[in-house]
Amino acid sequence: MKIIVCMKQVPDPEGPQDCFAINPETVRVEPRGIPPVLSLFDENALEAALQIKDDHGEDVKITLVTLGGRVSNAVLQKALAVGADDLVKVEGEALESGGLDSYGTASALAATIRRIGEYDLILAGRQAADWNAGQVGIFLAGLLGHPAVTLAKKVDVQGEHVVVERLIPNGHETVRTKLPAVVIASNEVGEMRYPTMIQRRQAKKKPVTAWGTSDIGFEVAPQNRVVLKRLFAPEMRKGQCHLIDGESPDEAGRSLAQRLRNDGIL
Amino acid sequence: MDPDNSVLIFVELGPDGSILPVSLECVTAARKLAEALGCGVEGLVLGSSFGEATQELSRFGLERVYVVDHPLLDIYHPEPSCAAFLQACEVVKPRAILMGETLTSVDLAPRVAFALSTGLITDCVGFEVDEGDIYFVKPVYSSNVMATYAFATEPYLVTMRSRVEDPAERRDEAGAEVIGLEVELDASALETVVIERTLEEEEGPRLTSSDIIVSGGRGVGGIEGFEQVAELAALLNGAVGASRPPVDLGWAPPKAQVGQTGEKVGPSVYIAVGISGATQHIAGMSASRTIVAINKDSKANIFKVADYGVVGKHEEVLPAFHEAMKEVLGKGGVE
Repeated sequence: MKIIVCMKQVPDPEGPQDCFAINPETVRVEPRGIPPVLSLFDENALEAALQIKDDHGEDVKITLVTLGGRVSNAVLQKALAVGADDLVKVEGEALESGGLDSYGTASALAATIRRIGEYDLILAGRQAADWNAGQVGIFLAGLLGHPAVTLAKKVDVQGEHVVVERLIPNGHETVRTKLPAVVIASNEVGEMRYPTMIQRRQAKKKPVTAWGTSDIGFEVAPQNRVVLKRLFAPEMRKGQCHLIDGESPDEAGRSLAQRLRNDGIL
Repeated sequence: MDPDNSVLIFVELGPDGSILPVSLECVTAARKLAEALGCGVEGLVLGSSFGEATQELSRFGLERVYVVDHPLLDIYHPEPSCAAFLQACEVVKPRAILMGETLTSVDLAPRVAFALSTGLITDCVGFEVDEGDIYFVKPVYSSNVMATYAFATEPYLVTMRSRVEDPAERRDEAGAEVIGLEVELDASALETVVIERTLEEEEGPRLTSSDIIVSGGRGVGGIEGFEQVAELAALLNGAVGASRPPVDLGWAPPKAQVGQTGEKVGPSVYIAVGISGATQHIAGMSASRTIVAINKDSKANIFKVADYGVVGKHEEVLPAFHEAMKEVLGKGGVE
């Protein structure tokens, strides 16, 4: 069984706000002093693939696919270390984050996956931590002509089907669809596991295929359907935080209760 | 007004058949958009055996309410719901479509965008009109940056973040024309089959309507720590919330998640326990009137948005706070 997991590297979304410097000329975000990391929901997608591998053993092969203007091998190495088997990365100016809209990104991914050829299941995260668009997985399924299942919290392969437990309003449901399919993971899959030191060393020897846009026939991106016009800093709520002290944590807790009562908050 | 080229709102109903607040917020947003576009506002609701909901929906100042009533639309399923939506669009011919950002639209909107070969802007928090051009504003980079986008295609398709607009006011008389639409849906053609569906009973106050929320983060350390959070919420007659890590780790249920991809809340009091204050979490709770933070790290971002804070370990601070609250409130809890 072959599983493709789509992964993107993004500037660490947990970084402080002032690290996300805006270049108004290029209409791009220029991260300052924060490292690139794997987009969180993509880590959940990989974790879902790893859980399938846990259950079905070594005949499951996991291929990572990533696109970008330039891609840091170091970031993707973490994904190889936790158990992916190989990496296909496609780099090129046309693939720079922010230049493509979601349809363009899905088109480039579809071209890459067609070039890879064989696969049973494609996993993707529900949205990337940079542009937060939340559309690429479904567009990818549409372009490849496969069913898409979204908001997955548990993914299992049973014969020719994928069985997915997914979130719905006020609960969850289990659905089944025929492979090949695209499954879009939510964070409820669980956090991606940590690699061991040995796994980290081994990851450096795993195969990496580096393609350019000409290798996937993507020299010209499709016309963007939504056009990024302007970036600006959000107005952040600024609390005037009254810090409540105490001789002991116990006293601080009691003082907080008293203060909230006195101020008519609770 | 021209029945074509309207702003069409996808109206969602809750399990009890009531109109979701975010759909009524979309009505307010749609009016502003329609004014800029010079067109009318209409609603579309999909479902089966509606009861009162469609009459109720005609009281919010929409020009027309289109109703698609079909047994396959009883509970949202991507294939029949998307097919019905597209068939309705062929009749309605909207210029713009607004949906509330919900677990349903997260699935439906990209499918509709793909089928209509149009763009989609998700998690929109407003628009700007400049010399007749309309720009849609949304948070990007986990809410650390705001972006404006324009559409290069039509219809415009937008999902709106909840609690950005006020819900439209209900009027005494039903104003909208209610129009039933026939659709053709084929149950035997479904590619994806639902094997099992579990709807959870609502326990305690709901996150989105509660006046007090007590939320836990990674810092609460585990399921036990989360129980302390839940006990405090129960004492205050509030709802239990969570940042993303406890949901990922299985300490808290998915429906408790507050943040960019969870619920957006705005209670009178939000008590954050062991929450560091990642921007994507702040995005879900910064509308709270008063924010109280308990965190052992004095440099945690949460203190930048909080109004009251205690720097300390939750396992030491929380029990004392809980007991003291019990005393100041008397035995009966919050009235």
